[in-house]
Amino acid sequence: MSNPYIPYLTRVKSVVAENKVNDIKTIELEFKNEEDYKKFDYIPGQFAEISLIGKGECPIGIASSPTEEGTIKFTIKKMGTVTSGFHSSEIGDIIGVRGPCGNGWPMEDMKGKNIIVIGGGFAYSTLRSLIIYLLDDRYRKDYGDITTIYGNRESGEVLYRDLLEEWEKRDDIKVVLTIDREEEGWTREVGFVAAIVKKVAPSPENAVAIICGPPIMIRTAVAELVELGWKDEQILNSLEMRMKCGIGKCGRCNIGNKFVCTDGPVFSLAELKKMPNEY
Amino acid sequence: MEQKILKKDEIEKLYNELASEYNVYAPVKKKGNISFEKIEKSEDIVLDYLNSKIPPKSVLFPQMEVLFEYTLDEKDVEITDRQDLDQKILILGIRPCDAYSFELFANFFSSHGNWKDEIYLKKKENTTLIGMGCNTPRTTCFCTSVGGNPFNKENMDVFLTDLGDKYLVEGISDKGKEMVKNLSWLSDATDADVKKSSELAKQAEESITATIDSETIVKNLETNFEHPVWREISESCIGCGSCSYLCPTCTCFDVIDETDKYNNRGRRIRIWDTCQSCLYSLETSGHNPRDTKIQRCRNRIMHKFSYYPENYELLGCVGCGRCIAVCPANNDILTILHKVEKIEEKGG
Repeated sequence: MSNPYIPYLTRVKSVVAENKVNDIKTIELEFKNEEDYKKFDYIPGQFAEISLIGKGECPIGIASSPTEEGTIKFTIKKMGTVTSGFHSSEIGDIIGVRGPCGNGWPMEDMKGKNIIVIGGGFAYSTLRSLIIYLLDDRYRKDYGDITTIYGNRESGEVLYRDLLEEWEKRDDIKVVLTIDREEEGWTREVGFVAAIVKKVAPSPENAVAIICGPPIMIRTAVAELVELGWKDEQILNSLEMRMKCGIGKCGRCNIGNKFVCTDGPVFSLAELKKMPNEY
Repeated sequence: MEQKILKKDEIEKLYNELASEYNVYAPVKKKGNISFEKIEKSEDIVLDYLNSKIPPKSVLFPQMEVLFEYTLDEKDVEITDRQDLDQKILILGIRPCDAYSFELFANFFSSHGNWKDEIYLKKKENTTLIGMGCNTPRTTCFCTSVGGNPFNKENMDVFLTDLGDKYLVEGISDKGKEMVKNLSWLSDATDADVKKSSELAKQAEESITATIDSETIVKNLETNFEHPVWREISESCIGCGSCSYLCPTCTCFDVIDETDKYNNRGRRIRIWDTCQSCLYSLETSGHNPRDTKIQRCRNRIMHKFSYYPENYELLGCVGCGRCIAVCPANNDILTILHKVEKIEEKGG
């Protein structure tokens, strides 16, 4: 028996500013105790409850991939007390981590399939985890064609610039970047994500679409996919909800009889349609 | 069956014997209300009560509870786990509805995902219940409609029946039978005592007149998430949350860090929370999936009579009637449930 509310202790290894306005940072954490790191066995799409002990705790999607061994990463937007605390944390500071929480992307079920990863804005973090995992030498052969469509309001908001540029150079992933309006020096796509989905027109044949982003983007992009013949079972979403415990006990992230923290956060559109519209 | 008699003036003796082994909790009168508190002297124990205002869930799931403590140093943090979970707890005088609520709590805290709430479960494992039948159910009681009974002995270790000047004592669980055997000074019950206790049980059951048709309610809720009845039901609610704070099956909690900055130490605590508060589900972005009272009132009813049954094939309500007694707006759950029962008739 062990107390599920006690976090593992980690230390900040690096802090990277991700966008121009500097309200999104990625913090990299190293476990104090190697044993704890081994126990923190995660897959892309899961999240953790991370805390500044003394200030509080919040649920954040894991941005690193389990294939990036040794540390874990979280991309955090500065919003309230705790996230602001993460933003001002320094190398060596202690951060508590509980998890991994939630179901994550269905890595097993997606084997052998083409994967379309659609992201908007800040919601790209667990998609970063997913794509790094898919592109890893050990796993790339298990999956079909990989396409990612990533949209932002403006170029200064694009996360993981270096990584995206690396992926653009590879021939085993198609990377489509878009921003809402023309900008000087921007050579990629221009337009809303839904319009780009229409343009790229991914085939639903033996494929899975993963969509993360603001609700309006999800709605419009899904509409385009449906138009292209995609079925609800093939479209996966990751939900966000207010949480305290992250482990199905504190109660607040329920949608009907499901908990986003333990039954989700990943649900197919088919599953979501069966749930009450209360999220 | 081993049935014994405990004279009312022997409560002190019983307490003294139990207190050597257990932390004994029992109903006491505090600020004009009955609540279950840790007993320091037997005179404080009040056993001639109808039911406590605050449910005995507070013994295993207190309104405020430490999850762990921490000390903060310049560049490090030290965490101290709870050290008190092995203590043996005894709850004396608990009612059958509340004893059953502990099972519903444990169901929930031991399921959903990979983690169990070991804090609660460990305490429950170390808890012994000496319960008591309800000779006089309250007018707000409806346990008989939700699978309970004022003399339900199932979830007890030892069961007491108030026979006026004495209690009939029965060991129920193996642990309880052993306990009764060890209280060797208890006198034997006569056939008349046993007969009287079954008469009291029958009378008590018959005296409960409030009823609901739980089967119809569960069925109607499945298909009526969107229905005008929810607006009607929520109209008088003032959102105070008393119904859920004082509900023996409401498990929700908030988590916060309490830090003593002058001494660089603190504790992460959980405190009772309620889905009736709009802050409960308010997200940092400003989005709130349940930002109206209609949605919040619906969630409370759906949780107990639809979501809990879907997940566990049990109702999430024990029929104690506390939410009825405590509601300042008289938003009676029985009235609400009767409206739900009639949904199909109205809507067709």
